[in-house]
Amino acid sequence: MLKAENLISKQRYYIVTGVVIFLMLILLSRFFYLQIFRYEKYKHKAEINRIRAVTVNAPRGLILDRNGNILVDNYPTYILTAIPGEMEQKEKIFNSISQCTGIDSLIIAENFKKYYRAKFVPTRLMKDLTFHQISVLEENILDLPGVNYKQFPERYYPSRINGSHFLGYLKEVDKPVQEKLGNPNVYELGDLIGWSGLEKFYESRLKGTRGVKYLEVDALGREMEEVKGYNNRRSEPGADITLMIDANLQLLMEEKMKDYRGIAVLSNPVTGEILAYVSKPDYPPNIFTGKMLKSDWNEVRNDPHRPLMDRVITGLYPPGSTFKIITALALLEENLLDPSKEVECTGSYQFGDRTFHCWNETGHGSVNLQTGIARSCNIYFYQMVQKLSLSQWVDNCFDFGFGQETGIDLPYEKTGVIPTEKYMNRKYGKWGWSRGNLLNLALGQGDVLVTPIQMVQFINEIATHGNAGRLHFVQEDNEEKGIRPQYSDNTWNKIEKYLLATVSDNRGTGRSADPQIKGLIIGGKTGTAENPHGEPHAWFIGFGKKDNQILTTVILIENGGHGGEIAAPIARSAYSRYFLPTKQSQMVLKTP
Amino acid sequence: MFAVSGNRFSKSPFTIIIASMVLTFIGLISLLSISVHQSADILRSSFFKQLVFLGPSLIGLLTMIFIPKYLIHKYIFTIYFIVLGVLFLPYFGRTIAGTYRWVDLGPVGFQPSEFAKLIIVFSLAKYLSDHNLEMKNFSSFFFPLIMVAIPAVVILKQPDLGTALVLLTPLLPMLYWAGARSYHIFLFLAPLLSVLTAFHTLSFSIWGILMIIIIFLERPKLIFGLVIYFSNLFLGLLAPVLWNSLKDYQQNRILALFNPELDPLGASYQIIQSQTAIGSGGAFGKGWGAGTQTHLKFLPVQESDFILSVIGEELGFVFILVIILVFTWMILKMVKLGYSSKDRFSGLVLIGIASLFMAHVFVNIAMTVGMIPVKGLPLPFISSGGSFLMSCFMMVGIVMNVGVDSTE
Repeated sequence: MLKAENLISKQRYYIVTGVVIFLMLILLSRFFYLQIFRYEKYKHKAEINRIRAVTVNAPRGLILDRNGNILVDNYPTYILTAIPGEMEQKEKIFNSISQCTGIDSLIIAENFKKYYRAKFVPTRLMKDLTFHQISVLEENILDLPGVNYKQFPERYYPSRINGSHFLGYLKEVDKPVQEKLGNPNVYELGDLIGWSGLEKFYESRLKGTRGVKYLEVDALGREMEEVKGYNNRRSEPGADITLMIDANLQLLMEEKMKDYRGIAVLSNPVTGEILAYVSKPDYPPNIFTGKMLKSDWNEVRNDPHRPLMDRVITGLYPPGSTFKIITALALLEENLLDPSKEVECTGSYQFGDRTFHCWNETGHGSVNLQTGIARSCNIYFYQMVQKLSLSQWVDNCFDFGFGQETGIDLPYEKTGVIPTEKYMNRKYGKWGWSRGNLLNLALGQGDVLVTPIQMVQFINEIATHGNAGRLHFVQEDNEEKGIRPQYSDNTWNKIEKYLLATVSDNRGTGRSADPQIKGLIIGGKTGTAENPHGEPHAWFIGFGKKDNQILTTVILIENGGHGGEIAAPIARSAYSRYFLPTKQSQMVLKTP
Repeated sequence: MFAVSGNRFSKSPFTIIIASMVLTFIGLISLLSISVHQSADILRSSFFKQLVFLGPSLIGLLTMIFIPKYLIHKYIFTIYFIVLGVLFLPYFGRTIAGTYRWVDLGPVGFQPSEFAKLIIVFSLAKYLSDHNLEMKNFSSFFFPLIMVAIPAVVILKQPDLGTALVLLTPLLPMLYWAGARSYHIFLFLAPLLSVLTAFHTLSFSIWGILMIIIIFLERPKLIFGLVIYFSNLFLGLLAPVLWNSLKDYQQNRILALFNPELDPLGASYQIIQSQTAIGSGGAFGKGWGAGTQTHLKFLPVQESDFILSVIGEELGFVFILVIILVFTWMILKMVKLGYSSKDRFSGLVLIGIASLFMAHVFVNIAMTVGMIPVKGLPLPFISSGGSFLMSCFMMVGIVMNVGVDSTE
């Protein structure tokens, strides 16, 4: 195996050695030529050839409402940067900048530390400088080696609406954020990134593409002209997005809701367009831009009512009596009850060893399905829900998308809780719960929790008999279909009739939702959801139909009391504005 | 056993290890300079990664030192086929930077083509030493060529032109070492030169005349001489067609060699900046961490392919001289060990490894100073890169294993 002798001749050994030495000498002579012979030339070239790559930030896309009103705009500000490796005496330079701009040099030093990346990469010192401040700096730029400024677009909100929760806000990319993003080349330190709401959801569309300018820098560190032949790239502004929001309706809802904690969402159920989206309390959206004071920001952050929270998609609430609709739908579809059969409500109901009460303590008298819904009688539903099994009830909830995300184009949506058998067994043990729990669930109490956006989807499906569009702010070319729950026409027609009765019946709980417009019919359901945080939450979910137009409303007032008394009137003002738009149109733009 | 191995290793060329350590150390110094000034987090820097990879590299070194030579000799063809299979692996992995070179093993990417180089050298050595070959025939080139060409084509398709070319380099030196005739080596190289000169009318004419002279001196049968001559001419004329089949970036790299001003955005941009960096370093450099060209990030792959530009700029000609001398000494030492080794297998392995190192060193350095197109090939021991550092140390281990120092 290894017996073959090595027969290499001395001549060949010398030739190979010679080739190696020859090749190495070629390399060495080349280095000698470059480093010793042409040293002066390249030294000079390196000195004058200080080409600086300056990034040009792309303005983000604008956000418009359905009528073309600009909700989110950009305005130019200036930021001041410095090349650390070119600043000889940092402290002195910071002091000079401080004298020119009137900004504390300690803040400048602090920023320098925060944004420092590398010795020769421009580091941000200040942002939001005015044109005047820049002018003064420009006059003194010779005393500030390594210091430069550039334009930087910031967000600006020209309309009178807040819309803070769906518009979302931007965040400055700092070191932790950059690490989280993974690819460090897409965002530089100090760049802005959509951090919540639509700004986050549509980040890739809105962002645009950063440009690069290669600037020649002279011996004094001043940026001269763009260098030709280098890969200069213009920045490309981000794409605008147009929302289905109607700024007029949005403004109206924000005003109506201003004294409450809760939500109001208006939508077109056929298309799934969101027309107004209010979560209160909210905050002025410009709180996150550089112009706002830190104290304002702290005030918002420390507010116990949590204005930063988007209650529409992340708030979890018991749905209350609005969920009687689910029970009624399930019973009708399965033919488990005779809608005209009457039940006597005396104000209380004995089930096993427990007594259940109606909200109407004196009792509703005799009620059938229609009056049971219209007057929201608890006793009727306590009795009727017993014809259902828990899994039948759960299936109907799932059919309407409860317990799942609606898929609206916002980040961080929550799913809520639909207590399945498995869930109940896990929470209470196999024998720890009984059909008594189902009695509570039928009234939307107990373990069931929903997000308001799920309620929007729910009422939209009811208003369109199961043909609602997927909920969205931004219309896509191929809009996905909604969840399409399947019920017979008979069931849909009956439930619509009962919901209309809730508003039209002389003892209906939703009477105050009707603006009394000719040709407009209103249907809906109130809810008064008991909760451990004090007064019950007031719900109103409903729809208005006139000619071919449909508008749905979902109103929730936290700890507001009875849904019919406080939530339904807010819905009325929405119907009134939507179906009589000429009555009082408002200017949505801020007066300059 | 240990006594035996003790005897065996007493004659191993330990100076090779010292040389490789010196080079690694210089590499770490310049990686540290890059890392300190360009990244806030030293733990994620190329310097730290290189330091961490020294561990596996030393394990690779020791493994190659202690693995018995006869085992390699016995199983190398089996391993050859396994590695050939592994080379196809990256096609199933994710692409990194548009190429298929990497197998993704969680946090550590790994390049199987690195290890293909070692396997090729061993396989060729075994084939050329086992078959008591009469290297007088041109036909005995056939099997070795196939052996090298298959993995080279696979790697070329990845696409990694640099490594594919490096894979081919041991072939001719090893054939030469095994006794192939110079004329046959010429025949082998002729098509390559025909293609290369085809783009330049004067060069092509000179080459054509040179071919006539060599063929005439060798006096083959008339028909063979004519066939060789005209097939080479034909190949040269076909070259432009082949050229068009190259990918754009490969064309750009080659074009930029002939005219650096042609494409200032692409390959030649790197060459110009690299030359400026090196030239402005002068005899003693600008000082560690003070290379303005380096730290202005003009060089996109300064940690790996253009590491020598960083050293040239910051540490100057003196360090370049040291590096080139150490490499020269190392390679000549391997050639010498190959000359003095007792069995042909060891001799061929040593000359194969020497040519691998030579190819890497020459291509990388010539590229940094703008003598040949940008190939994307790292410099042994100095460039950052885990798989490559490991394979370099494994090659040193092989030299330790099969080389017997006759001077000690």
